[in-house]
Amino acid sequence: MKNALIRFCAATAAVIFFAGSANALEGSRHFFAAGEVERDVLSIHAATDIDAMKPLILDFQKMAPEIAVEYVEYVTNDLYNDADKACGNGSALGSIYLSSSVDQLVKLANDGCAVPHRSPRTGSVAPWANWRDEVFGFTFEPSVFVYNSNLVPAGDVPRTHVELADLLRRKLDFYRGRIGTYDLRQSGIGYLLAFYDAKQTTTVYGRLLESMSRADAAVRCCNSEVLQQVASGNFYIGYNILGSYAYAEHKRNPQLKIVLPRDYTLILSRGAMIPKNATRGDLGARFLDYLLSPRGQAVAREKAFFFSEKGPLPPDVDGPLTLVQSGIARPIRIGPELLAAQDHAQRERFIADWSNLIIGGGRAMR
Amino acid sequence: MTRREPSLFWRLALRVALVLCTGAALLITAAWYYARAAADDAYDRLLLGAAIQMAESLTVDAGHLVINLPSSAFELLGLAASDRIFYRVVDPAGRTLTGYDDLQTDIDLDTVRADPVFASTQFRGVPVRLTIVARALSDPTLSGFAHVIVAQTTEARRALASELTYRATILVAAMSLLALAGTMLAIRYSLQPIAHLGAAMRRRDPQDLTPVEVEAPRELQPFLASINHFMGRLNERVDLLQRFIADAAHQIRTPLTALSAQVDLLGQDQMDESGRRHLARVKKRADELARLTNQLLSHAMVIHRSESVQLAPVNLVDIARRAFRAAIPITIDPDIVVSFEAPNEAPMVLGDPVSLREAIVNVIDNSLRHGTISRLEVRVVSDKDNARVEVEDDGPGIPPKEWEKVTQRFVTSKAHEGSGGLGFAIASEVATAHGGNLGFREKGECGFTVYLEIPLASGEAEVRKQK
Repeated sequence: MKNALIRFCAATAAVIFFAGSANALEGSRHFFAAGEVERDVLSIHAATDIDAMKPLILDFQKMAPEIAVEYVEYVTNDLYNDADKACGNGSALGSIYLSSSVDQLVKLANDGCAVPHRSPRTGSVAPWANWRDEVFGFTFEPSVFVYNSNLVPAGDVPRTHVELADLLRRKLDFYRGRIGTYDLRQSGIGYLLAFYDAKQTTTVYGRLLESMSRADAAVRCCNSEVLQQVASGNFYIGYNILGSYAYAEHKRNPQLKIVLPRDYTLILSRGAMIPKNATRGDLGARFLDYLLSPRGQAVAREKAFFFSEKGPLPPDVDGPLTLVQSGIARPIRIGPELLAAQDHAQRERFIADWSNLIIGGGRAMR
Repeated sequence: MTRREPSLFWRLALRVALVLCTGAALLITAAWYYARAAADDAYDRLLLGAAIQMAESLTVDAGHLVINLPSSAFELLGLAASDRIFYRVVDPAGRTLTGYDDLQTDIDLDTVRADPVFASTQFRGVPVRLTIVARALSDPTLSGFAHVIVAQTTEARRALASELTYRATILVAAMSLLALAGTMLAIRYSLQPIAHLGAAMRRRDPQDLTPVEVEAPRELQPFLASINHFMGRLNERVDLLQRFIADAAHQIRTPLTALSAQVDLLGQDQMDESGRRHLARVKKRADELARLTNQLLSHAMVIHRSESVQLAPVNLVDIARRAFRAAIPITIDPDIVVSFEAPNEAPMVLGDPVSLREAIVNVIDNSLRHGTISRLEVRVVSDKDNARVEVEDDGPGIPPKEWEKVTQRFVTSKAHEGSGGLGFAIASEVATAHGGNLGFREKGECGFTVYLEIPLASGEAEVRKQK
């Protein structure tokens, strides 16, 4: 009786606290109660859609029924800013961070905000997806084009970055205002993908940016918004969308189709990191091991992120048969070179150049 | 009491091991220093390369310093896969353009011009190695020196240094162990002559007082010479002693004979019963003394002859027969049956006839005095290799546990009878000198047997060798 009362009070306090803090953190909080009597709470702070993570969390709880999971969802930049602030204060946000914007996690690790985690599971991670045993890539997500097959004629479907740039030039009026992509100012992952696009081929990137500028490309904060617009027919084409989210949307709206560019496809590995001074970092480590385990990887491939390094492409995806072997895949290596993307002067200038063309300057130039 | 001294081998091995350990420790320390220097040198180049790339990417645009950080600079630093990277770009006015504001050093940036500067320091609580390179800007709108500071944690350097040191340590350890093993073998080999000398001394017959002749290295020669010198002196002393005993026995014999004659002349008739008993006892003792003196002389003679007389082939049967005749007194109790048996062929042995006869006489005499009740047999037998003179009697015999004892001087199985025996000692020494031995056979169905076994002359070489 007494115990129940205490638990109730604690739960109430927790709800109030989290409601308050969630507001302050600009994150949205989700709670997965423990399957059995709750003994521990794993606190995940992530810049990843809850819909993608939900199957993984539920499967994890099957293995660890005594653990309740608290999931706080952010936009990438907000997660970075809050985590950076917490690290400066000598604290941490929760047990583990997940972010698609791995450059931000690498920056945090470089600033000494991470603790290393070594286990048999982490030993099997590919070298390009592991830095200092502190930042691990646990997914394999191509950056793709999406289009609405009801609106884009079959002959128009672009299969390379150059084809996309040419299409926008050729049928400028048809696509004007109908192409959507990330807003680099708001989205860390958008910036990272654009930065690596620019690194791959300067000329093609320049042409594409110019074409998008002419076509009045629309920008949105997040993947999901662009995908919804494409699915609803408001946008015709979405550029630099993460394949995992796109495929989830495709399953809901089959008219939304996915193309893996055949000249090169950037591959992003979503990052996970256990912060220093984490509350229950051991649980974070346990969840990380689960994510890297064959079981976690299988659930990720089937229910959450759909793509994998070794398996075949999911059905209905237009792309090369062998992504990795053909050399088309360009994994974004998790390592110190991401610090170049994270340099603030660099970032400001890159975003300023981009904004100049896409948000305001482009129109003026015309 | 002598304290137990550690062996030469362990003394040497311990000292060599100490020297090797000290050497190995010095070498490993040196290897560690070199490894650190090499690792620092290798990674400093990466650091400098990255810093130069960053400095090269600085441009001036409308009076503002603009940096376009090359990813390749970070990729270069990323070759030290696990190290964290900190950098700061400072414009000519000393303002931080980008990077880590708090990356400060004691080095005055203005002093850094053409040559890069390296330093090891701490940043955010971890040891880092940093370099500063300067870039001269000569734009009309902005001139002066901009600086790029690049720092890297030292994990990869330390890992490389440890790896190099570890390998060097393995090599040094292997080398030291090899050297130690080699040294131990060498010491063991060098000390072998000592063991050889010891073994040669142990193998020597206790009676042998001739100089030791063993091959010994120069270092052992003084030791060997001392031993031989000592042996020589001992030999002289023993010779002297033996001569003295022989002289003494000889000197005693004459008055003893006179004494016996005088005792015989004493008129027994005038004596009463007890006087006669006393006289008989005196006679008996005088006889014993005479016998003992004879034995002493005979012993001295046997020893002398064994050293000086050349052995020659002799017929053992002849010698045994002569000894038999000499040993059986004419006054022997007629109830005692004595016999002598010999084979048809003559067993030839290499020997000194006088010593052999003396030995056989002593054995028979011993048997008559202490063993024989009613029967005494003397036999000469021979087999393939040996000839034996066997003396068998029907007396009580000697228990086997005393067999060894009775061949020593003045020991007898019947000490209470007061006749200290030299008989078996003489026989045993003669047998040994002839390469044979004095043996006993348990009293069985026949009687107790004492035998003298001598190799046949066909084994001539063997006899020589034994000698």
